[in-house]
Amino acid sequence: MEKSTDTSLYLRISEQDKAALEQLYDRYEKILFSFLYKMLEDRELAEEALQEVFIKIWRGKGVYDESKGKFTSWLFRMAQNTAIDLIRKRKKPTVPIEEAAQMASNDTPVDVQVEWQEKQEQIETAVQRLSTEQQKMIDLFYFKGHTHETIADMCDIPLGTVKSRIRLALKKLKTSLHGMQERGAYDD
Amino acid sequence: MTNVDCDRLVDYLNGTLSEDEIEQFEEHVKTCTECQEIVEATGELPYLADPVEPPADMKARILSNVFEEKPEQNNPPAALNPAMSPIPLHRKKSKPNIWRPLIAAVLLASLLGNAYAFLQLSDQDDAPETAIESIELQPSEAFAGTATAEMIQEEGSLNLVVQANQLAELDAGQVYQVWLIKDDQPIPAGAFSPNPNGEGASYYQLEENLSEWDTIAITLEPETGNELPEGEIVMSAGI
Ligand SMILES: [Zn+2]
Repeated sequence: MEKSTDTSLYLRISEQDKAALEQLYDRYEKILFSFLYKMLEDRELAEEALQEVFIKIWRGKGVYDESKGKFTSWLFRMAQNTAIDLIRKRKKPTVPIEEAAQMASNDTPVDVQVEWQEKQEQIETAVQRLSTEQQKMIDLFYFKGHTHETIADMCDIPLGTVKSRIRLALKKLKTSLHGMQERGAYDD
Repeated sequence: MTNVDCDRLVDYLNGTLSEDEIEQFEEHVKTCTECQEIVEATGELPYLADPVEPPADMKARILSNVFEEKPEQNNPPAALNPAMSPIPLHRKKSKPNIWRPLIAAVLLASLLGNAYAFLQLSDQDDAPETAIESIELQPSEAFAGTATAEMIQEEGSLNLVVQANQLAELDAGQVYQVWLIKDDQPIPAGAFSPNPNGEGASYYQLEENLSEWDTIAITLEPETGNELPEGEIVMSAGI
């Protein structure tokens, strides 16, 4: 279960290998569901988005190759875009199926948990180094999926500078993350 | 930052570009280190999410929908996911004698523990009414696993989704086989083998009614494709 096999799994999926899709699903179900839940704040919508992501992967909508960077970045971006689509045409909430059949699923494997925790600590530290306004913008832009107009309103900044401020915030985030990587916070 | 393409980064991440524009931008990213690094850093943001436990039966639902996704909603029955060990649906009239006492014993021990949930959902698109019954299977003695079956009755077809946890590893060739039983006559209704986390799931679609079955059981079969159970019942429940 090395990270490097994401790409080979993806290749097998592009050849319609169902077992490969299932493996990929198992590997990313929990982080994707948690991420989508953070964005959508609704378990049923999160499931809908997750299903949409895997339908896209299965049907080869949006093609990944290593020139596009890390597989997880590509996967998460697809999930994030899918969630944004749902947010922008948000439907009336329906009766969540899982409320009728709620059952705690198995614990996530320890290595996945540890990796998540490490990454969470890193990204949290990096985000905390941003100004409050920058943190708010990343939340509104990335997790809440708001348009530039809404962000301009909410943060009370001119529409024309929203994009450049978001870019600046992301750039600072990147620099902090790199700093941590160079200090060996990353184990690879 | 005079590059026009760099300006599109935020729109790209915000999902507001057209498909052509996305392609253009992805070409740009290949040659622009800064955009590349920002895109990668953004890819770490999802880890900010706090872990949320997904519904246990979500996997079976999603995978069945992904694999069965077709333009028309006229799926043949028993179209299965090979990753979950498809078993062709053949009915046999022969009646195994071992079946009745085993089930009776397991059921007797577990009848009171059956969790039932029944609800009516109507789809927002005025789809036909869907009935869902969720059944917790009871493990037989000395079996540590747990399983939930969800029977989703849609017009004309019955979808059976089974999700199991805490399963022991299997020997090569072995498989957990799901059976639907009516009057001691079992038919195979999906099979699965556990992943390294001890989880397994199966999905099965039948053109029959929920009311036609009285028992659901899972056996540990020595091989896949058995049309009648050979192995022991590890979990079961009345329907
Ligand atoms: Zn650029």
